[in-house]
Amino acid sequence: MKTENKTLNIAGKKTQLTILGEGPPLLYLHSAGGETEPIAFHHKLAEKYTVYLPAHPGFALSEGLDQIEDIHDLAWHYVDLLGELNLENVPVVSYSLGAWTAAEVKLMRPNLIGPMVMIAAAGLHVDGSPMEELFIDSFDKLRELLFFDPKGQEAVDYFPADTNDPRILMWLRAREATARVGWNPYLHDPKLAGHLHRLNSPVQVIWGRHDKLIPLAHGEYYAKHLPNAKLTVLEECGHMVPYEKTEETATIALDFLGSV
Amino acid sequence: MKFFAFHLMPWDRLPDDFAEKYDTAWTWLPNEMFDPEHGGELYNNYLDQLVLADQLGFDGVCVNEHHQNAYGTMPSPNLMASILARQTKNCRIAVVGNAIPFYDPPTRCAEEFSMIDCISGGRLIAGLVVGGGPEYYSFSKNPTFAREMYREAFDLILRAWTEPGPFEHYGKHWKLKYVNPWPRPIQQPHPPIWIPGAGSRETIQFVAQRRFAYMGIPYFHMDFFQRNFDVFRDECEKCDYTTDPEQLGWLLPIYCAETDEQAWAEYEPHLWYFVKKLLKGLVVFPPGYTSARSIAGIQKGLLQFMSTCETREDIEAGGYAIVGSPDTVRQKLSERIKKLGVGNLLGLFQLGTLPHDMTCKNMKLFAEKVMPGLREELSVTLTS
Repeated sequence: MKTENKTLNIAGKKTQLTILGEGPPLLYLHSAGGETEPIAFHHKLAEKYTVYLPAHPGFALSEGLDQIEDIHDLAWHYVDLLGELNLENVPVVSYSLGAWTAAEVKLMRPNLIGPMVMIAAAGLHVDGSPMEELFIDSFDKLRELLFFDPKGQEAVDYFPADTNDPRILMWLRAREATARVGWNPYLHDPKLAGHLHRLNSPVQVIWGRHDKLIPLAHGEYYAKHLPNAKLTVLEECGHMVPYEKTEETATIALDFLGSV
Repeated sequence: MKFFAFHLMPWDRLPDDFAEKYDTAWTWLPNEMFDPEHGGELYNNYLDQLVLADQLGFDGVCVNEHHQNAYGTMPSPNLMASILARQTKNCRIAVVGNAIPFYDPPTRCAEEFSMIDCISGGRLIAGLVVGGGPEYYSFSKNPTFAREMYREAFDLILRAWTEPGPFEHYGKHWKLKYVNPWPRPIQQPHPPIWIPGAGSRETIQFVAQRRFAYMGIPYFHMDFFQRNFDVFRDECEKCDYTTDPEQLGWLLPIYCAETDEQAWAEYEPHLWYFVKKLLKGLVVFPPGYTSARSIAGIQKGLLQFMSTCETREDIEAGGYAIVGSPDTVRQKLSERIKKLGVGNLLGLFQLGTLPHDMTCKNMKLFAEKVMPGLREELSVTLTS
């Protein structure tokens, strides 16, 4: 598959961008886990689209976290990035932290973003369904929190085993970049819920039934309060939807984007 | 050489099955376990112990700030220090320290410290700290801003003490139109400043560059202290001066009894309560609290942390605590103080379940049979 790696200068922030596949453009906004290198899910999307896969500031080789103070700064970064790439009305597939970011970008500059797929999206506080603590040190506990099957191959491959893992520095950087925008308020923007009625492009919400980090109630809230959204719930699936249900999620996303 | 009695004011009634049932003595430990009536007794005993330290001739007493935990139930060391400012007569009162990113605005710390300095007649040592990792969870303060908040608060406090007010402060984290604290401290230009650290390179450099005093956060293996203190001395040299031993402090648990055997027999159950229960969850580095590289380094240091100890031999081999007869304690301390090159010894004489009378006996033996000899011996060695 055609793959291109670029380093962009986005308003002074060095930004890692991977471009994957051929076809019309599609922006992918990644999660706190930092899937900044192409994974199987990206390859599925790239069968039909040119997938733009940027790394958020502070993730992978992207810099500029010192210029990010909250989720809105991160969203403005993507306003700049879409300007740099000359993209408008671009379909977006987004996951967790990335899906929250996509929603904020859409509210700031509605013309930049077209139909949206929001997978296990952060961004809300839902009374009675608190999100679990992501910023804990134990990898075993994180695996339990994020995966439906914490002993499955994806869980083993995806996580550093311990602090001696060579990926640990990148892991610590990703954690820091996530905490920068998601520590307090915890992984949400208190004002986002009040803005959802303005986010009127077609939205496909996808959620794992057994998501412990961001409970399904958040997906139901998004689906109910976004004017043009539908929710698909995946069984035997935790928070790690693109990993745990790669084929199914890609099919839902591609069918949705093909239909709007 | 100066001797301080350090107090955490720990909780002494964690359940027997604590180690199996709870992951941490911090942040998430249900506060139903705190019994206020008993808490009142403890606070009074603990204050009595620090007043006793003054009467016994210690150079100073130390209190410190922690939140939402059983390890140190002293959320406001300034309250304790203000009581001690009245009840002690001669000793220094070291607050080690105020976690200044949590003071809103940080000028509140400048004000309260000035009050303590005034009441005590200029006996305050002002500790200014970043705040422990767990506290960034307890207060939901964003740890990725911890260092820059610390620096901004630190500079603001120093200005508040030294620059005539009112003046404006428009920083990133605090915007203050009028900074003009009443009162001002007796000690001029400001009280001595101590900064504790767990080994972050950032903290060591900051303290060295500004010529303040670096307090080695305890419970690490001797080798880890040695490395950090050596790095500190190197950093001072880079700033074109040689470290004064008084710029370094070393904190560790100490227990003295009549003989080595008796000391271990009396102390050991209390030591393990501390190691296995109270230390659980202390060392947490939330994201961005310090650089990723420092965190990775400290994670390796944690293999040399006291909670990895399982036996008395582990404790002794790593120098995690000094236990024994006055002669043993003196001889071990002398050797290690010289090796580490520190001018302040901060002894932890009470560490949780140790009963009040045993704590007092421990301190008396130390003050009467260890301190005088060490003073004599080390005043020669360290200053020569």
